[in-house]
Amino acid sequence: MQELFASPFFGIALSVIAFWIGVKIQKKTGLVICNPLIIAIVLVSAVLLIFKIPYESYNVGGAMINMFLAPATACLAVSIYMKIELLKKNWLPIVVGASCGSLASMGSVYLMCRLFGLDSAVTASLMPKSVTTPIAVSIAGSHGGMTPITVVAVIFTGILGSILAPALIRVFHVQDAMTAGVSIGACSHAVGTSKALELGETQGAMSGLAIGICGILTVLFSLILM
Amino acid sequence: MKIIKQIGIIFSICWIAQIIESILPFDFPASVIGMIMLFALLVLGGLKVDHIREKSDFLLSNMAFFFIPAGVSIINYFDVLKSCVLQLLVICVVSTVITFAATAYSMKLVLKLMNGRRRKGEQ
Repeated sequence: MQELFASPFFGIALSVIAFWIGVKIQKKTGLVICNPLIIAIVLVSAVLLIFKIPYESYNVGGAMINMFLAPATACLAVSIYMKIELLKKNWLPIVVGASCGSLASMGSVYLMCRLFGLDSAVTASLMPKSVTTPIAVSIAGSHGGMTPITVVAVIFTGILGSILAPALIRVFHVQDAMTAGVSIGACSHAVGTSKALELGETQGAMSGLAIGICGILTVLFSLILM
Repeated sequence: MKIIKQIGIIFSICWIAQIIESILPFDFPASVIGMIMLFALLVLGGLKVDHIREKSDFLLSNMAFFFIPAGVSIINYFDVLKSCVLQLLVICVVSTVITFAATAYSMKLVLKLMNGRRRKGEQ
């Protein structure tokens, strides 16, 4: 029986079914907290733990899904390219804002990890947590972090950002739509961007642009700082 | 054939990006190299969005799905997480607020300076 679970079809089918259930639940409830990815991760983990299926068996199919992450990240270039006019017109405030945001994110995480006495592997896993998952995972991986912790922290941060965004805009008196969009994208990547799109078209486009720019800047900063 | 061609283009870029990653003397993620290469090709006109539209739409709109295996491997790290889950929550909340504030205030400042200069130029 165990060797049947080691078929690539098992891991892929289980992932698709779990994700499908997650998407259904999100559509039904409409809550950001019911993120399909989180639901899928919980469901797949539960199946593996309950039926005592080793992670290695699941990962025969899982590795194939994982392979698509690199091309998916590369395609973020297409979404930045679609907004190139917006970027050309406002490149200075966007680049300055994204740089300050990325540095503040990495700096605050580093200081708090120090404060809480967390070890270097956990710190490396958390430092890139404000950028989009594929980039965060590559940064954490190349600096000795534990990538699953990065994945969970990134998604959690994204959900937080999308819940907090309207309140943060009020508290910090952000009137300009462009500023609001870049700020949301800088702190909560794609999950936040889905919220930014609800606030307005400019906010959405700017937030999407900030995902790519903050991603690249964070890679550069991590090369220098980590 | 159209989709196969698109897969071919994107996977070739990813493969070349991996080769570049292995040559570079420092750690720079191959996926980001691929992203920069693709962006450069689009800007320089070597590639049109139409050449890869369907495949890139497929990858971008299903992005979350591709992270399931990476997320599930968290079950191998339960021991590490158990000891620091509260700290992780605090770090995520606080740093999200700080990041938002830093981005918003720095952009406000730049926009204010730019407007000030523009007004000066008009006078």
